[in-house]
Amino acid sequence: MNRRFSYFGKKLFQYTLVLFVAISINFGLPRLAPGDPLLYFFDESTIKELTGAQKQEVLDSVGLGGTLWEQYIQYLKGIFTWDFGTSIKYAQPVTEVIADKLLWTVTLILPALLLSAVIGVIIGAYSAWNRGRKRDIGFLTMMLTFQAVPGFWIGMLFIAIFAVQLGWFPTYGAVSIVQDGTTWGFIKDVAWHLVLPIATLSIATVGSNYLLTRSSMLESLGQDYMTMAEAKGVTKKTLIFNHGLRNALLPIYTQFTMSLGTLIGGSVVVETVFSYPGIGRLLYESVVARDFPMMQGVFLMITFGVIAANIFADLTYPLIDPRAKSSAVHKGGQ
Amino acid sequence: MRKSTKFIGLTGVVMFSIVALFAIFGPLFIPYDAYKQAGASFQPPSASHWLGTNDMGQDILAELAVGARTSLFIGIMTAILATLIGGIVGVLSGYIGGRFEQLMMRIIDVVLTLPYLPLMIVVAVYMGPGVFTQIFVITLVMWAGKARQIRAQTLSIKSAGPVLAAKTMGASDFYIFKKHILPGVFPLFIPQFVGAVNASILMESSLSFLGMGDPTMKSWGSILYYANSRSGFLTDAWIWWIIPPGICIVLVVLAFSFMGYYLEEKVNPRLSAYTAAQKRVKQQITVNEELVAQNIALAVRDLSVKYPKNGKFTTVVSDVRFDVKQGEVLGIVGESGSGKTTVASAIIQQLRSPAHVPHGAIYFEGRDLQLFSDEEIREVRGQQIGYIAQAAMNALNPVVSVEKQLKEALLAHQTLSTKEIDERIDEALIQVGLEPKWRYAFSHELSGGMRQRVIIAMALINKPRFVIADEPTTGLDVMVQVEIIQLLRKLQRELNLSMIFISHDLPAVLSITDRLIIMKYGHIVDEGPSKALAKTSTHPYTRRLIDAIPLLQPRKEEVRDVVH
Amino acid sequence: MSFIEIEHLMKIYGHSKSDKVAVLKDVSFTMEQREIVGLIGASGAGKSTIGKILAGLEMPNKGTIRFDGHDLTKMSGRERRAFSKHIAMIFQDPYESLSPRMKIRELVEEPLIIQQIERDKQKRLNIVREALQVVSLDPDKYLERYPHELSGGERQRVGVARAFVCKPKLIIADEPTSMLDTSLRLELIALLKSMNEQYGISYVFVTHDIALTKGFCDRIIVLHEGEIVDEGMTDDVINNPTHPFTKALIHALLTLEGAHE
Repeated sequence: MNRRFSYFGKKLFQYTLVLFVAISINFGLPRLAPGDPLLYFFDESTIKELTGAQKQEVLDSVGLGGTLWEQYIQYLKGIFTWDFGTSIKYAQPVTEVIADKLLWTVTLILPALLLSAVIGVIIGAYSAWNRGRKRDIGFLTMMLTFQAVPGFWIGMLFIAIFAVQLGWFPTYGAVSIVQDGTTWGFIKDVAWHLVLPIATLSIATVGSNYLLTRSSMLESLGQDYMTMAEAKGVTKKTLIFNHGLRNALLPIYTQFTMSLGTLIGGSVVVETVFSYPGIGRLLYESVVARDFPMMQGVFLMITFGVIAANIFADLTYPLIDPRAKSSAVHKGGQ
Repeated sequence: MRKSTKFIGLTGVVMFSIVALFAIFGPLFIPYDAYKQAGASFQPPSASHWLGTNDMGQDILAELAVGARTSLFIGIMTAILATLIGGIVGVLSGYIGGRFEQLMMRIIDVVLTLPYLPLMIVVAVYMGPGVFTQIFVITLVMWAGKARQIRAQTLSIKSAGPVLAAKTMGASDFYIFKKHILPGVFPLFIPQFVGAVNASILMESSLSFLGMGDPTMKSWGSILYYANSRSGFLTDAWIWWIIPPGICIVLVVLAFSFMGYYLEEKVNPRLSAYTAAQKRVKQQITVNEELVAQNIALAVRDLSVKYPKNGKFTTVVSDVRFDVKQGEVLGIVGESGSGKTTVASAIIQQLRSPAHVPHGAIYFEGRDLQLFSDEEIREVRGQQIGYIAQAAMNALNPVVSVEKQLKEALLAHQTLSTKEIDERIDEALIQVGLEPKWRYAFSHELSGGMRQRVIIAMALINKPRFVIADEPTTGLDVMVQVEIIQLLRKLQRELNLSMIFISHDLPAVLSITDRLIIMKYGHIVDEGPSKALAKTSTHPYTRRLIDAIPLLQPRKEEVRDVVH
Repeated sequence: MSFIEIEHLMKIYGHSKSDKVAVLKDVSFTMEQREIVGLIGASGAGKSTIGKILAGLEMPNKGTIRFDGHDLTKMSGRERRAFSKHIAMIFQDPYESLSPRMKIRELVEEPLIIQQIERDKQKRLNIVREALQVVSLDPDKYLERYPHELSGGERQRVGVARAFVCKPKLIIADEPTSMLDTSLRLELIALLKSMNEQYGISYVFVTHDIALTKGFCDRIIVLHEGEIVDEGMTDDVINNPTHPFTKALIHALLTLEGAHE
């Protein structure tokens, strides 16, 4: 039991460190970059109109007053009181803007993650079972190709083909401007808008799920316990699922739970292509608009999400691998 | 290495060469400057503009060629940097260890946990767009994964035989590093590099697509950036504006994927023993009445097994022929390469390709198992023929409890109520000398001897009449070996099992078997009743095996005084 | 004073508080020159650890080891490494301990290079040839081959040649026969014995198979859970075991043997 606590203690320390680094990056970069720091908070035109005294007031208000250490403490305080500053573009607290977009992000990412995982695992397992056969080579080549395709390009192609040329789907956004007023109508509309983005994201990520499943499965299929189980006379289905896949699942599970971190971060490129109002696109917008508080706030939120997903992965892994309960090591890595 | 792997690697090289040639010679031969207007906007493909022009009238093919140079340059530069930095950090941390290693591992963990695309974006924003920025941020997020992998490799070399041997010879750390670790780790750098190019080209294209590319150096990603921001996909020009850059990216990344796949196999061959099994069709099977009448449980006739090697075939089992009567225990003895394990696999039809059985019949209760269909053989396995494997580390599924694995063995052949299943499991465990509480245990919680007992329980739980025990005592401590042999002897007598006992350990075999066959290089060289064979056989190999048994009591002396 | 004196050796594995295992609790014994001592025990009993500590692969937590008057535990790294020419090791796995990238010649030569014995290439080669001949491997046939071209028995002989090449005073043999085919085991033991008779090399022979010690070891030491439980001349211990563990071990073996007498 002691061992487990020290293991989690180490992990918590690591995650705290990650947070600390992310916060420091946010804090340090604007202060390291050349040029007027006020530019990171206000437009050029606005700054020109300020007097010297007003500038100092403004500097203080955005945390640039006082010594570096004082600024750092102030910044930290802000983070822990959930105050990430005010967005230049939206003129709202950053946290509010993020909260607005969170649901959209989740409705895009969650189905895509699940779809990609389920398809990747099923085809990966099938491919591994039929190793060396033409269908395996075929799927392998197909998936390697999918992995080689940039997500945003798929998105652009889909829009060009299915939205513009064929007109089957909308070209951008999450909802149409004109609604029929009913809830059901709204849901259908949202779903209609989600088809292409989810398809894009799934295709972009299915490759890595497939490859991991296939190689993990090949490893478990070659183990002694497979021969043992077959010698017991179990059915093919039992062999594939209860033994082959069950063991192959361990690294797959770890990868999947860690990818849940993107539930908050969204997908910057896919959302940008589809002009989808998620947090990913928020990051992109904030870069274009030079909305630095927003950009930093989103970065921090995404880091939170990733850490939360990692913690979830660490906590739940022993549930599927009984060896992890008694020993401190779980991932194949170190 | 499989042929398909080599083919994949070759395809990758060809694909990469095409793109590389295009990158190097393209801008020299294409008459247009990619950055200047070359014609009217949105010209469709024509003889003068093979891919037409974009919205600013620039020749798209020229853009592609210039983009090729940029993308490849950034991709390869970052890959070199990331691999070198990651590799050096990895090797040093693995080799030096201690505080340095701990520190590096923390840093690597942090870098790998941070979300990479947002991190790249944030840093790139502050550094300003440009090639240097791109190279910097991509290297920043890529080196850590390489460091971790190379460290792992360094550690495994450090703890392997040759390094330990060198230490016993008094080698200095420097010698070991130079002579063993570096040559062992360096081959890994190459597939790492190839994988890095792969990833960095994709990352560069994403960054450029988001507008962080160098405005003075077009890349495929930035071509798509302009296409997107100027709504290229809303026009008819999308076909020749949007598709080609994407295809270029896919080609190059795929090329490196293929090359990487081949290189990984070469450097780190994942020797998975698994190959897909052939399907067995239902055939007409006639019963050999003679064998049945003579009460012969298993009759192997003229069995041969060959494996292809370098174009030819090596014979692993050669015209083997033996009988096992009902209730009899036959021992198969041989050293490595004798073919005894192949015979066992052949009997329960678990030989995998490329093994080939040119001829031979295996009559179980009069019917030739070679002719059984998939379903028929599945019914035989575990129910009529039990298989006791060697208790290797992974003989039992490590993530499934003993209980579940026993239950599985039962349900493969019968339908039982939950209560019946419980009772049968308890019964099976007690029968092999284990307390029922061990049903909840997992493989790693059991000692070698206990694992072996569980395997025996699994083999016998459906009360088969015939059992194959394949090296059931190998790898166990001497005292445990004796316990297992006594257990098997007891069970064989109680249940009147017909048994084949395979081992290289003669004393073990002699104590449990009625008859023996001795195998060498695939042939049966001697056979006969066990004790008589050991005492009186004149075959030189048999004598050698018998004489090679180290004894506590000199031969032919009374064994009285010390034993109970 | 004995040639080798081991006093109160203790070794603990594990880092965290709940993880510690005392592999060696308090082990003391002595050895004379030319003596062959067998270390018997179940896996995990600590016998391999003693061998590893003697060979310089591990450091004990407590205790001293005096070799020909020199205290190995108090030496600096460099001194200890220089001392390795007197203590060599033969490993259990004949394949894993030979680097697959090195030819037989390079493998057997390695100790000479590390210990800087004989700078002259040709003279070094002669020493290697001699070592191969001692283990009955024809140098002309084997020098330029790679380990994967050899059988298990041949590889183990290469391991013996490599251990012999610096003419050490002591060789630690860590279960050298357990991965060999049965018919080869006694042959290897015979080889080790002949090297002892001809060159006066002492052995610490680590094994779990007590039967192998008969006729080979002068004395045997039985280890159980990190402690010495029985010790004495080989035949004495085998015929009159005192500790319950040793008794059970002998009994089990005799049961097996009794079955085929």
